[in-house]
Amino acid sequence: MDQLYLLATLADTRIAVETGEVEAVVRLTDISPVPGMGAHVAGLSALRSRVLTIIDVAALIHGRATPAERRGLAIIANISGHSYGLMVDGVSDICRVPEGELPLRGQLDPAWAPYARALVEHDGHPWLLVSLAAFIEGGALAQAA
Amino acid sequence: MDELLQEFISETQETLEALAGEVVAWEADPSDRDRLDAIFRFFHTVKGSCGFLNLPRFERLSHAAEDVLSEIRAGKRGADPATVSAVLGIMDRIGELTEAVAIGAALPSENDDFLIGALSAQAAEAAEPAVQAVVAPVVVARQGGAQSGPRTIRLPLSLIDQLMNGVSDMVLARNELSRKLRERSADPELDNVFERLSTCVADMRDVISKTRMQRVERLFAAIPRMVRDLGRDLGKRIDLTLEGGDVEMDREMVEMVVDPLTHIVRNSIDHGIETPEKRRAAGKPEAGRLRLEARQSGNQIVIAIADDGAGIDTARLVDKAIAAGRLSPEAAMRLSEEDRLDLIFQAGLSTANQVTAISGRGVGMDVVRANVERIGGVIALDNHPGQGLCITLRVPLTLTIIPGLIVRAGGQHFAIPRSAVVEILHDNNETLHLSEVGGAKIATIRAIRHSMVDLEDVLGMEKPVQQGPRAIMVVRSATGVPFAMGVSAVDNHEELVIRPASPLVMATGVYAGMTLPDNGKPMLLLDAAGLANAARLPNIIDDRAARQQDQEADAKAGVEMVAALRFEELSGERRLLKLSLIERVEDIDAGLFGRSGGRAFVRLDKRLVPVANGLSQFDRARVSALRLRDDRREACYPVAAVFDIVQMPAVPDMVAMHGMLSGVAVVDGEHLEVINPFALFAGLPEEALVERARGRCVLADSGDGWTREILAPLLRQAGHEVVLGLPGNCAVDPDDVVLCTEADAAQAAEIMGCRVVHLRASPRPTGPQDGSIYRYDQDALMAAIAGRRA
Repeated sequence: MDQLYLLATLADTRIAVETGEVEAVVRLTDISPVPGMGAHVAGLSALRSRVLTIIDVAALIHGRATPAERRGLAIIANISGHSYGLMVDGVSDICRVPEGELPLRGQLDPAWAPYARALVEHDGHPWLLVSLAAFIEGGALAQAA
Repeated sequence: MDELLQEFISETQETLEALAGEVVAWEADPSDRDRLDAIFRFFHTVKGSCGFLNLPRFERLSHAAEDVLSEIRAGKRGADPATVSAVLGIMDRIGELTEAVAIGAALPSENDDFLIGALSAQAAEAAEPAVQAVVAPVVVARQGGAQSGPRTIRLPLSLIDQLMNGVSDMVLARNELSRKLRERSADPELDNVFERLSTCVADMRDVISKTRMQRVERLFAAIPRMVRDLGRDLGKRIDLTLEGGDVEMDREMVEMVVDPLTHIVRNSIDHGIETPEKRRAAGKPEAGRLRLEARQSGNQIVIAIADDGAGIDTARLVDKAIAAGRLSPEAAMRLSEEDRLDLIFQAGLSTANQVTAISGRGVGMDVVRANVERIGGVIALDNHPGQGLCITLRVPLTLTIIPGLIVRAGGQHFAIPRSAVVEILHDNNETLHLSEVGGAKIATIRAIRHSMVDLEDVLGMEKPVQQGPRAIMVVRSATGVPFAMGVSAVDNHEELVIRPASPLVMATGVYAGMTLPDNGKPMLLLDAAGLANAARLPNIIDDRAARQQDQEADAKAGVEMVAALRFEELSGERRLLKLSLIERVEDIDAGLFGRSGGRAFVRLDKRLVPVANGLSQFDRARVSALRLRDDRREACYPVAAVFDIVQMPAVPDMVAMHGMLSGVAVVDGEHLEVINPFALFAGLPEEALVERARGRCVLADSGDGWTREILAPLLRQAGHEVVLGLPGNCAVDPDDVVLCTEADAAQAAEIMGCRVVHLRASPRPTGPQDGSIYRYDQDALMAAIAGRRA
């Protein structure tokens, strides 16, 4: 299995993201809020000359906005032509997973259901394989509408 | 194969576009061999390529057309209007087929035989004069329209966009570097290199933005054909003149202007230009004149469409408006001519007596105006009943840069397009009255009631407690009713580079995009119509008559008008300056401008005059400059061009004090920034740069390097006129001061009755009698020169 995965923690959950979806991981600096939006849109942030829409993924999952002082890293992704930054609590590793994708087991929290695709095993722990595009298209846009 | 097909399609489409005008021009002058050859070549190429690509229908059509054209080339047949129509018909069909192939749709299965038949049938009838021949062809005069363009290549748009982004990144990196450099100690060498880099980056940005530009010619390409077809259908004769096709504008902008322009041209032919009989009766030449002209003016493109037809019958407009119940007869009486003309922009009003196939289908000038305004443009009418109509479209050079206002609300900054803002007031203004009933806020401004919202409320933000007055803006969107919007303050106005926001953000409906200002903090662009929707404001127009009355009362109260000069800044903005401050306008040699101690000045009539806008470097040899004067000081204000003298309101229509500007005034439908004379003179250096120097400084030791290279420049900078060497005839003017370093020369000069300043090289005087001055003691030296003169 040659697929690389980015391993991160998000809303106290271990997640894995296919590196093909990830453009970069940056430390967030200034975020200009977008008033009139739900908590899941933390605001806009400039990365060089690009403007990122910063998504508070934790707020999308369990509806509570991440307090400003806990905003740390964001995964940058280009989803249907626009640049997004998805806030995560921490990033631990980028690695190959020998067993590849495993089917989901157990009863998944419904909050995670729209985004989780499979499991990957690393370091003896299961990591939830999520799709970044699903966060934007499935979750955020649906909430905005 | 796919690639070849793609290439064929885009090439054919492009040639078709360019060729439509050529065919019409060729019809007007059948002896024009070059045009005939160009058209023949097109069909020949199509025939060749589609044989190869296996497109039999293309082949049949182009083959038939080619046959006819080669007969004409051989002189066996004339290019009568019917033949031209048939050729055009074939071209249209090829265009349709190409379209179908491009989108992969099934080819439309109309019978091509009919078209081909039309071509050959004409061959038989060619002898008898066709009825249509009475209608003279459209004469197209293209000015400066070269047949062969410059060499070009095809590039994917995404590549150019990528390049643009790269350059934007570069500019931002440059800005950051510049900030970092300023923090460190100054190193002239490093500064020089950085300066060079900056110039390169700026040049590069200019060039890249040009790649997005397209010649207006493309906009004009379809016009000759349309004019010809319409003229024939309506039995009218039209002389079409296209000018300024080489002006360039943003390619997206070209797309946006096509529809309004087409509509205006249709209107002009259908309703404006009369039939030949009517024109004869009115004493006009039988052929109506239609003139399209494009030019660039500052950061705008001006497209003028002028005809010499009947113009707009405003009386009929008013009748229609009354008949449609939009206007009461009493209100109509009160309308000014201008307001009457403005009725043409009301939805569903048209002067056409009956609906025709060409125009007057109810989609009228209101749509045109809405389309033009949506892209930040302005439309203006110049109506001469019976003589003609000139419609002027002014559109910004690019879609992505718009003039905007930066407003503050809830501790955050937002941008709003300037075109959406009618007026800005402070809430302590006495013409404004705020009231509240049942939760609804109403702002009454000069007796007009507006719905009032606070931006913070619409966006669900906290309204911070604020010292000082809040700003109330009257906001108007292209559709809908103006409303008042309260914000903490209006901070600034500037040109904003707008980029699309992500769909997530756009879904709120109150934002139109975003922009990244120099401080690196993204800012959102507000959408006026979206805000009104979000606030659920009622969309009912005030009783027009009542408003009219109010306006009349207003007019009686008198909006004080003052004369102002309309000019263009060297940076391209068009601005106004009160005329009474301007002494005169003159052209000054760019070489006379200079810079000293961070201040720009210009040398005029042997004295230094401060430059009000701080410019000292110009890209031209002579600069137009305004000479300004308050009661005791004068200043020079270099500008790019001076236009005319206009009447502007004494208080700008929109007050927004910022730097040298006091606000924005609307003159002839154009938004112009007004210079604040107070700020202008307050910004000048307090002391006059130099007292007026009388006489000259004669430097006796002109051969000496120190005198020439160090002393002379110092004196010149101080405003003295410097003469190197004693005048040959030794007749020194009594007003002159002689400066010398040698003692005997000093004595000799003194004997001759000159005023002498004797300089010495050592810091200490040689003795008590020594009246000389140490040559690096600048204060003493200046005092000595001034003293000798007194």
